[in-house]
Amino acid sequence: MTDYEAVIGLETHIQLNTLTKIFCACKADSWNAAPNTNICPVCSGLPGVLPVLNEKAVEKAMLLAAAMHAQIQSLSFFDRKNYFYPDLPKGYQISMYEAPLATGGYLDLPLPQNEARRVRIAKLHLEEDAGKTKNAGGKRLIDFNRCGVPLVEMVTSPDLRSAEEAAQYLTRLRQLLRWLGVSEADMEKGHLRCDANVSIRPRGAAYLNPKTEIKNVNSIDAVREAVQKEIERQAREMEAGHTIESWTLEWDEDSGKLKKMRSKETEADYRYFHEPDLLPLHISEEWKKSILTALPELPLERRQRFVTQYGLPEYDADILTAERSLSDYYEQTVKAYGGDPKKVSNWLMNDVLRMLNEKGMTADQLRLLPAHLAEIIRLIDEGVINNATGKSLLEKVQASGETPAAIVAREGLAKVSDDAAIRSICQEVIAENPAEVENYRNGKATLMGWFVGQVMRKMRGKADPNLARAILEELLAQ
Amino acid sequence: MELYAQSAYELTRLLHSRQVSALEILESVLKRIEAVDGRPGTLDPGEFTEEDRRKVHAFITLTAERARAQAQEVDRKLAAGEDPGLLAGVPFTVKDIFCVQGTPSTAGSRILANFVAPYTATPVARMEAAGGVMVGKVNLDEFTYGSSNESSAFQPCPRNPWNPDRVPGGSSGGSTASVAAREVPLSLGSDTAGSIRQPAAFCGVVGMKPTYGRVSRYGMIAFGSSLDCPGPIARDVRDAALMLQVIAGQDHHDSTAAALEVPQYVALLEGGVKGMRIGLSPDYFRIAIPDIQTGEYALQPLPEAFSAAVHRAAAALADMGAEIIENVPMPNTRYGIPAYFVISRVEAASNLHRFDGVKYGYRTSQPVQDLRSLYRKSRAEGFGLQPKLRILMGMYVSAAQYSEQYYRRALQVRSLIRRDFEQAFDPQGEYRLDALLTPTTPTTAFGFGEVYGDTVLMQYADQLTVPANHAGVPGISIPAGFASDGMPIGIQFLGADFTEEKILRIARAYEIATQSEEWRKACPQERQ
Amino acid sequence: MKEQISPELFAHLVELAALELTDAESEYLRGELNSQLNAINELEAIPLDASIPPSLHGITFTSQVSAPLRSDVWQPYERSDAILNQAPQVSERYIVVPDIPHTTLE
Repeated sequence: MTDYEAVIGLETHIQLNTLTKIFCACKADSWNAAPNTNICPVCSGLPGVLPVLNEKAVEKAMLLAAAMHAQIQSLSFFDRKNYFYPDLPKGYQISMYEAPLATGGYLDLPLPQNEARRVRIAKLHLEEDAGKTKNAGGKRLIDFNRCGVPLVEMVTSPDLRSAEEAAQYLTRLRQLLRWLGVSEADMEKGHLRCDANVSIRPRGAAYLNPKTEIKNVNSIDAVREAVQKEIERQAREMEAGHTIESWTLEWDEDSGKLKKMRSKETEADYRYFHEPDLLPLHISEEWKKSILTALPELPLERRQRFVTQYGLPEYDADILTAERSLSDYYEQTVKAYGGDPKKVSNWLMNDVLRMLNEKGMTADQLRLLPAHLAEIIRLIDEGVINNATGKSLLEKVQASGETPAAIVAREGLAKVSDDAAIRSICQEVIAENPAEVENYRNGKATLMGWFVGQVMRKMRGKADPNLARAILEELLAQ
Repeated sequence: MELYAQSAYELTRLLHSRQVSALEILESVLKRIEAVDGRPGTLDPGEFTEEDRRKVHAFITLTAERARAQAQEVDRKLAAGEDPGLLAGVPFTVKDIFCVQGTPSTAGSRILANFVAPYTATPVARMEAAGGVMVGKVNLDEFTYGSSNESSAFQPCPRNPWNPDRVPGGSSGGSTASVAAREVPLSLGSDTAGSIRQPAAFCGVVGMKPTYGRVSRYGMIAFGSSLDCPGPIARDVRDAALMLQVIAGQDHHDSTAAALEVPQYVALLEGGVKGMRIGLSPDYFRIAIPDIQTGEYALQPLPEAFSAAVHRAAAALADMGAEIIENVPMPNTRYGIPAYFVISRVEAASNLHRFDGVKYGYRTSQPVQDLRSLYRKSRAEGFGLQPKLRILMGMYVSAAQYSEQYYRRALQVRSLIRRDFEQAFDPQGEYRLDALLTPTTPTTAFGFGEVYGDTVLMQYADQLTVPANHAGVPGISIPAGFASDGMPIGIQFLGADFTEEKILRIARAYEIATQSEEWRKACPQERQ
Repeated sequence: MKEQISPELFAHLVELAALELTDAESEYLRGELNSQLNAINELEAIPLDASIPPSLHGITFTSQVSAPLRSDVWQPYERSDAILNQAPQVSERYIVVPDIPHTTLE
């Protein structure tokens, strides 16, 4: 069998998380709203209405474009894309065509073994979302609530080479969108939607074969699975000597199968022309600058910096930069702590992340501040508290908002390192347990742990266990 | 003089001095409408009678109850010492291309016959907020596509108050007919190629197309979105200025509404024309007429009565101290219509996409199996011939393979037309005009059936008005006497962007200069 | 007179426009289209070089004339029912249309 490689391009539609829709003052988010309640004359396309562009939608799209290393254009135009469909109340979609908001751009997708795949962006523009339709026994039901939600359409060049890479791209894109705060990027809720164009060719070939388009894939796992199945189907077809036709396929989540929707005979003619109801979009240097000052360090850059600056393993850096507030939290803790960054990473990955997962919170929502965490680690380093106390402090600080030191003082959690106090308890334990003393002295050295435990129990965990051991050894040797 | 025959300006004066109430004005107007308008246009008109022939038929929908509530509110405000607004108690009609909440807003089309708008167009809302009293929605060419009103789906269509066998012009024919017949002093119209100015000229009233962006288009059912302008129709220039004062200005519902201060049009109105430079262009005294057989164009001079009217006006203005600049070249005037055929159709076809039988308006009652059939049948049954023609032309000239050849080229021609105006009005240029004076139309109102059906000839009725729409500049048509057929002649002043106050001032000066002339005493025939 | 729009092309336009026409309508409309195209073709005679920009609007929307973009402020619209009441067929607040047939093959 020929060795094939896949050639995949992804067309994504990203709902921007503005408060209102792109061309009217309806709320952008209609989650759980009854059908056709979050509508107004503008987004339901009544005769006579006009669009008025939401400034915030432009700014969020600018941020995204900059993060994708695309060139934001100083002059762009909205166009009408004309077609009939019942979820499109005006009979045209206001989109961008020949003069889009930004051109160029790429995302460097990290691959295993420190390689990266540069995925180029072929198209990046602003447009309005359409409504929703659903089938109901030979009829179509239409809901306009989603009409006019601001979208960025972003299309990659056919630069992805496997189903796994396609999934990785979406994972990284989702991470970036949340990182920038421009989209909730929840695929299940349709904030991030993806169509995949898939073709295959013998490995090493430079030409492109006809592609199929997979629509309606609404999770990253589904994209991986659907693209993989399509790659395998195309390989089987080619092996059987068939040619691949430019079908549009639909992913059926329930059966895990691809279904053919309709054959694409000709490209539809959308008769694009500049939307006369909107002015050309001018983006001044000044405006661009003011927006781009809000552009944070990007997740992949930060991930790399964590490796080089803090000496973190890739694994740690990846997890700590999965989400922006977590990575901010990490850095703030490292700074406040001043000690080994890897130790901070361990605390975050083991304890703080568990806490976040349990509470369904993000790091910036915690009452346990980076300064608190740094303080806890320092208290342990300095021998003031032991490790177990440190861990229990996490929850206590989170619950009360008090500083760790205050809690330690109030609850008397500091390790007792007073030689005399521990010595008297040790003597008590030895006096109360003659049989164990006998056994120990007869060579059962493992009993030392038991003696230390007894001391700790009597002192309700506050004793410095190392000191207790030293005193016990001294007394038992006599 | 009966209340219904008074000007808007005079009515507000009478109201403020408490000589009449808003309700009294309204009742006078409703009685007048009852007497002269005849039956309103309907989808199913039945037989056309001799009685019908003699009536105006301006209305599609009379909104008497809404008007009474509005008038009572004005009277209440007056009694309570509150400011009732600039248009307090002034009755007006609205071309049925504007949406008004709770009223049928039909666009003169079967496809919207049952559409009741849930919102109000900005210019109408502003007139009502200023105390104006809307008495009804008036007829027009279907979706404004025409220059005679004959294409309305609602028949009988309006007739010219000066001669019932002539058309009122269009597409704002119901508006100009209702004002000319003294049913109301003001009407809100719309102008895409001359649709305010041409019927104003045909009906002997004042009609103004403001600068594109001066008046919000929100709520006006779109034809050519880059050309459409709402504007005032009145019997004199002062009333037009008063109405423009109310409807002009920025609107957060319209991105193309200009963010400029609105001048005090009424206060500036009688500043005179001393020192103003008013131009005449030979390119507005001849028109290109296509030969249907050969497709060749012949340049013909305008009928003598039209150039004479313009030259008389120029002389009168010169007497008042204006400087007349002759031979201002406007060489691209003749390309206005062909460019318009392309631009307006591309925009119209797209604007008509939304009428599909899905969410409002007409849906076919035939059983359909699939969505595409629903579209096709609803649109086939709902649209008349003129919308269909514009859709098909729009489809053709904007198709990917033709749009470079037609649409882009037409937009470039628009730049050329614009350049003519920029050169004429350039304050540092050779001509430095304050206004260009032209005839409004190449003919007086034609007879029913004379032009209708020949869509090319019909379009050429707009030849002298459409350049202002391409260029975006303001224009006003005012009455300037009568032709030998007894029908009114209109003259037009065109100005630079956002200089409505200047052309209003010039038009007003002409009005004052000619107020004692014999022809001004003529009234449309009474038909009671 | 040149006939640019053949019956076949005309039928295609009718399909694109989602219309269906009687023979009489077709004959009239096709005739008018061809007449109008004769008028439109006058544009071809105009010398136009690439330096002449196409104008989206007649007036120039300078920064002084242009309205600012809309602030992202929610203004709830209270009359969604009035919009829905205009729909010819509604079921449980959904607008209802006939199905869109498409082949679903394996």
